[in-house]
Amino acid sequence: MDLASIRADFPILERTIHGKPLIYLDNAATTQRPRQVLETLTAFYSTYNANIHRSPHLLGQEATELYEQAHENVARFIGIEDGGEIIFLRNTSEAINLVGTSLLRPESGALQFRPGDEIVITVMEHHSNLVPWQVFCQEVSLRLRVAGLREDGTLDLDHLAQLLGPRTRLVCCTHISNVLGTINPVAEIGRMAHASGALFLVDGAQSVPHMPVRVEDLGCDFLAFSGHKMLAPMGIGVLYGRRELLEQMAPFLYGGDMIAEVTLEHSTWNDLPWKFEAGTANVGDAIALGGAEDLRTGQRLIGAVDYLEAIGMAEVRAHEATLIARLVEGLRTIPGVRIYGPLEKERRAAVVSFTVEGANPSFVAKLLDEEGIAVRAGGHCAHPLAQALGIAGTVRASPYIYNTPEEIERFLTASEEIVRKLRKAL
Amino acid sequence: MSPRYTPILIEHFTNPRHVGMPEEADASGQGGGGPLCPDDMAYVWIHVEDGRIAEIYHKTLGCPVAIASSSMTCTLAEGKTLDEALQITPDAVVEALGGVPERKADSVVATEALHKAIEAYRAAHPTEAEP
Repeated sequence: MDLASIRADFPILERTIHGKPLIYLDNAATTQRPRQVLETLTAFYSTYNANIHRSPHLLGQEATELYEQAHENVARFIGIEDGGEIIFLRNTSEAINLVGTSLLRPESGALQFRPGDEIVITVMEHHSNLVPWQVFCQEVSLRLRVAGLREDGTLDLDHLAQLLGPRTRLVCCTHISNVLGTINPVAEIGRMAHASGALFLVDGAQSVPHMPVRVEDLGCDFLAFSGHKMLAPMGIGVLYGRRELLEQMAPFLYGGDMIAEVTLEHSTWNDLPWKFEAGTANVGDAIALGGAEDLRTGQRLIGAVDYLEAIGMAEVRAHEATLIARLVEGLRTIPGVRIYGPLEKERRAAVVSFTVEGANPSFVAKLLDEEGIAVRAGGHCAHPLAQALGIAGTVRASPYIYNTPEEIERFLTASEEIVRKLRKAL
Repeated sequence: MSPRYTPILIEHFTNPRHVGMPEEADASGQGGGGPLCPDDMAYVWIHVEDGRIAEIYHKTLGCPVAIASSSMTCTLAEGKTLDEALQITPDAVVEALGGVPERKADSVVATEALHKAIEAYRAAHPTEAEP
């Protein structure tokens, strides 16, 4: 991959922070957007903007076509053929809330959760895949069971296996921990879930942007991810759901566009995926995620997915694996630094979390900011995981396609300097 | 409690004294970052000569009260013996600043860091005579 030309596509990388060139290593929180995606937003709003579905005018028809293509393109990106299985929502949290809310409703029939049913999650879930289940379980007397960690920061599959039983209805697991960077063996977990008769939901927020992800390989029933972590705007997210399930499931939100027929007494629901997309959709952002082509003029609206596919997701993964290996190796040699999660690059994705002995992670992150380096500090929306690790939080560096080996070296040099000064005489 | 920032506090916030992360120091300590005021943090570095704080530096991330308090804490501590420096309380710093408007918790980060630095120094030099 041509790093220089990729970097030239991201206007924000020209910024200086506190007088120093920005080194953006907070991609697990949100990525930056390339000019192609920004141009797609401008093109949509300046050329095609109209409300979709049932528009009598050409503009509305064009917007509808582009929006529907965005579904098809996102489907292709995760290796499925049916755009009806792609539901556009705001983000991963909303996608997971959709599944839970729908499965609590009587209209979901045989799929509906019933008191005493069990939901299994893991201790490394982001709050988005924990808090909804916590609340739903309290609301309708379900039992939430939580699989723990092994010493090396990987998921304890034996513990997970023990939690599965006849009342397990749903297993929810993050593909990649946003704190530890651990790549979970989701295919294996999926087989375990299905063997016990449960459905399987994967939080792909940290995996879909960073490596080739195919639904078939994961063996999941639901896959949730966010556009803003993969070059698209904030406010567009995706739920993949298996068609057979989505058809049986009750809607999530009710209102415009999600209906087929409405009388004052009764309504019926639209086809997939519209049944789950109530109200005016986030059309512009969806196209900026999925990309589309004006079939009349041939004008191409480049989406984040197109941009990533042009690089190739295997290339993305290989580039990040190189950067992460150097990050882990470099941080390990700094006295007083402790790294969390697996050390082998095969089992770690593009996230590295660390603590500095005797130093507050936020302080370290703010000192790095003074060097123009953007990283995150704290519990990373996975507070139970920090509790399980016995720490208040970590500093987290998360690279992406535009980060260079030179930036990683600058980060390591700055970190070493900061750690040395903070630990002086400690 | 005073209703607004005093002129002394504003002066120490806009021109904080003793700012820096020295290349060499005898001991350091960290203050703040706790649940009371998670966004206010200070580090203090000390050089000790003949049992007195010969040089003192701080790096403070936080609100004006935290930064002014760190500046004042270091100003008060410079030249003092370790025992004298341990007597510098948050109240003494607030008083020296002419009072702080609110959130007195912000004013403790540097004294906490200073006291920890002194403890760290003493732990590393257990037999050293002090005046």
